[in-house]
Amino acid sequence: MNTAVQPESEASLIEDLKRGDSTAYRRAVREYSPGMLAVARFYLDHSSAEEIVQDCWVTVIDAVQKFEGRSGLKTWLHRIVANRCKNRLRTAKREVATDFSETLEPELANRFNSTGRWDLPPKLQFHDSADTLMENGALSDCLDKHLSTLPETQRSALMLYEAHQHKSDDVCNILDVSASNLRVLLHRARQKIFLMVETFQETGEC
Amino acid sequence: MLMCRDLAEIASDYIDGELNGRQNLSVKMHLMMCKDCRTFIGNLRASSNLLSAHSSGKADEEFLRRIDERVAEALSVRKNKCSDSE
Ligand SMILES: [Zn+2]
Repeated sequence: MNTAVQPESEASLIEDLKRGDSTAYRRAVREYSPGMLAVARFYLDHSSAEEIVQDCWVTVIDAVQKFEGRSGLKTWLHRIVANRCKNRLRTAKREVATDFSETLEPELANRFNSTGRWDLPPKLQFHDSADTLMENGALSDCLDKHLSTLPETQRSALMLYEAHQHKSDDVCNILDVSASNLRVLLHRARQKIFLMVETFQETGEC
Repeated sequence: MLMCRDLAEIASDYIDGELNGRQNLSVKMHLMMCKDCRTFIGNLRASSNLLSAHSSGKADEEFLRRIDERVAEALSVRKNKCSDSE
């Protein structure tokens, strides 16, 4: 069953939220919290992520009064969560800038010879489906670890694009990057995950 | 001619369907002839799927209930504030 909020009912949901209707809040909490939690999980450990999402809902009660509905409720909520997480991390971590002129990760670029052919081709095929791979707790932990070391903008781009199927335009707006830079961010981040899974499958180590 | 390295550079664009017709065709031609690049594209795509699966948030009922409580609390505080100012 498709329970996604349709555009016209989203507008009425927003009106109900503005009126402070508690039934509307219960509905919205169930509809949007899983996505918000996923956004927060890209930045923080599980319990901090849950804490942030709870705090965000409390903020939403006031903030929704000024919400004009231009971006869509989901995008707006995800942006609130992302900003909150970034603020929490800002003190802890310095952003490493991505070099947009380099589309290949150095570690991957080194695997081609001077004629542009593979010198060190990918050996193994990741034959398992994503769901099967995720059942491997150690791989899941390893993924968490690698995601946490990605530059902030790469991680955000991945999170918004891959996990939430936001349209590229949305992601560019939220992150304030150009469309071509978004493509580089995504590609660089995916390569890092590719390299990580490859090492994990070959060695069993993170 | 498209080399393996060139293909690796535009691999995500290929996966996401962001290439123009001519580029798309040259990637497809290369993939027909090159097993290594087929493996690479497959693995990169798997990495992308892995990320979606990894981050599809599951919120348990207990967590949602705690949010309900905090929202209810905040709503009632807000109502009291509004009636005070009236
Ligand atoms: Zn090739």
